[in-house]
Amino acid sequence: MDPLQTKQQISSYIIDSQEEDIKRIALELHEGVGQNLYSILTGLQFVNSAIKEPQIKGYLQEMTLLIEKTIRETRTLSVELHPPVLTTLGLIPALRSYLKLYTSTFGILVDLDSAGMEKIIPERNSIAVFRVCQEALVNAAKYADTSNVKMTVHWTEDELMIRIQDFGKGLNLKELRFPKPTSGLAAMKERMLLIGGQCMISSKIGEGTLIEISLPL
Amino acid sequence: MTDIRELPAVMEVCERLKAKIRCDFVGLAFQNEAGPDVRWHYAAGNMNDKYKRIIVRFGKGIAGKVISSGCPLMMTNFPHDIHGKMTDYPIALAEKLVSVYAVPLFLPTVPKGVLLIGNRASYLFTGEEQETVNDAAKALEQLLTGEGF
Repeated sequence: MDPLQTKQQISSYIIDSQEEDIKRIALELHEGVGQNLYSILTGLQFVNSAIKEPQIKGYLQEMTLLIEKTIRETRTLSVELHPPVLTTLGLIPALRSYLKLYTSTFGILVDLDSAGMEKIIPERNSIAVFRVCQEALVNAAKYADTSNVKMTVHWTEDELMIRIQDFGKGLNLKELRFPKPTSGLAAMKERMLLIGGQCMISSKIGEGTLIEISLPL
Repeated sequence: MTDIRELPAVMEVCERLKAKIRCDFVGLAFQNEAGPDVRWHYAAGNMNDKYKRIIVRFGKGIAGKVISSGCPLMMTNFPHDIHGKMTDYPIALAEKLVSVYAVPLFLPTVPKGVLLIGNRASYLFTGEEQETVNDAAKALEQLLTGEGF
């Protein structure tokens, strides 16, 4: 077999295994740990209703609040790891949900515009597209020095196209190639190639960076 | 929660602190009344309004860490001297802060807020400067407790 093809298959296998693990942990947190904590919470609320001593009641109240906080943390962590919406409702609802979290984390406003009818795509592909969008947005938060990002998702009969444009300081891509490739950007391209798509990155100093993702459907 | 912008005395303490230390940024964050999340309510020397939209989870970010631990936090060369990922420090990313000193605000007895000063260059805040921030935090605690925070 062609060594390049073998290398791609190995990369694909590693990424798929990692995604499987991430999904398993996210599900375990949500369905296992989260549900158990919820049972403890209802148990505590029941015990609280039967207790008369104000001191113990106050202590139980604190415990209840702590459990509630832990349930919220567990849910957020689970969604951050693997958005369940991606498998149940599709890419656009998952992106909308992530963008809400993104804006409240980094303070960056994202204008999402979706055109065309959303198609059902294999989970492996939707995860890859979602992760590439995530990487592009996180890069904008880290390096672009911007307050606004414009995201356009366009579905046609045979292709999905996504454009993510920050209006930040931009970067010199030629300089980044030497002495070492920027791993985040290279990984985005590689990830799209592995599912038969493409990721184009263009940037201009002072004008921002544009990420264009395309995936044949 | 009362809007900090309606409390000129609080803003005055922050502005005076900024002028005295000659730092680039001063910010005030508070834990939400409902829920454990933390938000930035006031900033001086800010480059944009991202701080208004940032919501830090309890225990996360600079403000979340300071409130949950009740201890001051100093960074001298962000992102090179941090624990975890640089995305765990959204206010530093949003305001391009490289050095930071943040102290908790006890309202009235438990940490509920954060006073943060920052520079956009690597810097080690001196003991005297830290003391000035601590004094400003005490003045803010008195003002804010009086306002029912």
